[in-house]
Amino acid sequence: MEFLGSAMNELCFTQESNRRGRLGRRKVEYDDTREYKSKNLHAERRRRQKLSDRLLALRSMVPIITNMNKATIIEDAITYIQELQQNVKLLSDQLLEMEGSSEEAVQKRSDEINAAEEMKQCGIMEDVQVTNIDRNKLWIKIILEKKRGRFTRLIEAMTYLGLELTDTNVATSKGAMLVSSCVEGSYGDTLTVEQTKDLLLEIIKSI
Amino acid sequence: MHGEIGCFDTNSMVQGADDGIGQVLQPPPPPPPMAGRTINIHNGFEENLKMSTEELENLKLSKEGLSYHHSYLHHQEEDTSAAREIQLQNHQQMAFNNTHLMQDSSNQVLAFTSSSLADASTYTSTADLFNLFHLPRCSASSLLPNSSISFTNPTHTTPLGFAGDLPMTDTASASSILYDPLFHLNLPPQPPLFRELFQSLPPHGYSLPDSRGSSLFAGEGDDHVEGSGGGGEGGLYQDGDGEQQFDNGVLDFTWDMACMGKDREAGKMTKHFATERQRRQHLNDKYRALRDLVPNPTKSDRASVVGDAIDYIKELLRTVDELKILVEKKRCARERSKRLKTEDDSIGNTGNESCSTVMKSIGDPDQSFNNGSLRSSWLQRKSKDSEIDVRIIDDEVTIKLVQRKKINCLLYVSRVVDELKLDLHHVAGGQIGDYYSFLFNTKIYEGSSVYASAIANKLIEVVDRHYASTPSTTPSTSCY
Repeated sequence: MEFLGSAMNELCFTQESNRRGRLGRRKVEYDDTREYKSKNLHAERRRRQKLSDRLLALRSMVPIITNMNKATIIEDAITYIQELQQNVKLLSDQLLEMEGSSEEAVQKRSDEINAAEEMKQCGIMEDVQVTNIDRNKLWIKIILEKKRGRFTRLIEAMTYLGLELTDTNVATSKGAMLVSSCVEGSYGDTLTVEQTKDLLLEIIKSI
Repeated sequence: MHGEIGCFDTNSMVQGADDGIGQVLQPPPPPPPMAGRTINIHNGFEENLKMSTEELENLKLSKEGLSYHHSYLHHQEEDTSAAREIQLQNHQQMAFNNTHLMQDSSNQVLAFTSSSLADASTYTSTADLFNLFHLPRCSASSLLPNSSISFTNPTHTTPLGFAGDLPMTDTASASSILYDPLFHLNLPPQPPLFRELFQSLPPHGYSLPDSRGSSLFAGEGDDHVEGSGGGGEGGLYQDGDGEQQFDNGVLDFTWDMACMGKDREAGKMTKHFATERQRRQHLNDKYRALRDLVPNPTKSDRASVVGDAIDYIKELLRTVDELKILVEKKRCARERSKRLKTEDDSIGNTGNESCSTVMKSIGDPDQSFNNGSLRSSWLQRKSKDSEIDVRIIDDEVTIKLVQRKKINCLLYVSRVVDELKLDLHHVAGGQIGDYYSFLFNTKIYEGSSVYASAIANKLIEVVDRHYASTPSTTPSTSCY
């Protein structure tokens, strides 16, 4: 009971102290020998618990365990990670060399091949639409035939000509690519609808 | 004045010396008033404390040594040494001002400092001066027990060790008596108190908190003191704490004094402290090594290091699985092409079972069974300004990118995507507040064996490179 009592006292004190805030130390009057008690008792316990839980989880993942103490858990984890890293390196090197010696070229996906034909079938035409949203902002819609690397070239051309895409959405369907985006002038200049439309049409023709 | 010397209340202080000590404890006390005061109060000591001119000279000689000592101590606790220096200077001033050099305070300090000097032999000439205290030494120091000058004031009592002749053996018990009531308290840092203790304690077993283990007493060859000092200090480190100088200092004395009387146990205890400290250092080194292995370490506290390690192990396992599948696929494909060329059925037996089943049943190069498992992998990489998340399921790659707004990275990323031979299917993203955020849905071209970590690493490298090389944004590009 004595023990319980003192434990209760401790709890009371820590609860009280929590009210005052966690930092700092408090003088305990009743006890001459222990003048200061840390307010962080519970926090410290929780911290230790958290650490030990994680160490346990780490130990469970590592297959090779030597001893069951803190130091060796970490040591074993280190060796295991290094081993895995070596494995990864080995496999990726293998892959690289296989790729080098492989006779296959990277082929187009089978569904790519018919992109142009599909578009024609659905009646989708390449198109550009430009609208003015705000003083500086334009909204553009472009329909492109999807070809490899075309999107990148489009972005490149647009950036080069001073059009910056702020919000972009690209979707592909049936061999066509739809780009809808908010566009601003990169250098702060205002763009007119007509100018931009002409610009874009030219770009599409060239890429 | 008495209020400041609170720790000595339990020990009967020299009545007359109180003020002197009090003066000592206020750094820096103005010399003239002190001198005047002590002259008045220490009349009783004057006869005993008369310095001959010879001793005065000795004092001068010792000054050089003391300054050496101060520089030696300088890398130690600077507060206390600074305080001591100030006091020492004051006392030295007084020494030149009047012949009543033998004041308790100055003697305390001087005696203390001299005793700790590495080269004790230089100071044999000043032995008389410093023998005032007859502070016990455990080394074969030259300071002799018989002093020509001694306190004979009856109100002096031995505990503080600076009064009268104390034979060595007495000190142990005396000091143990002295220190027990005080030092089993784990006193928190209290600078003035510490300074008082520090000045009034006999130097035996003084170990200036020696945080780096460099030996203060190297010259003396006093292993015991050194060991106990270092060990005492080491043993009192809390786990991960114990950086507070004062704490260590106060507690050092506890252990040292407590150990003084028990030599053998002290030996064992010091070994304990040393090994314990070593153990902790090893453990910290291991944590650091673990942290260095992980690609994106964030916090450096133990729990997060372990958490990061767990995530990294999982990621590595995923990567290994992915790579294995890729290699298998490649091998299958290669063998398939070989087979088509040579039309030799026996090759199928050397390859995987999955390969042979594929060849026999379907013959469709696009389908790869892999024993029914899908290739899947997931990776995250963070750098200072960007975050990349790459997920691969079968042949679809989803890339999420968050980057602190500085450059419009859409262009760079799409370039990289092309380089990696990924077919861009869907892009969504733009400017969100301070960040650029993009989502790319891509498909892997047939035959390409690109894997998650390669994508992630390359992307983050490119983005960071461009990020670093771009000057800050112009205001015109900001939008609401």
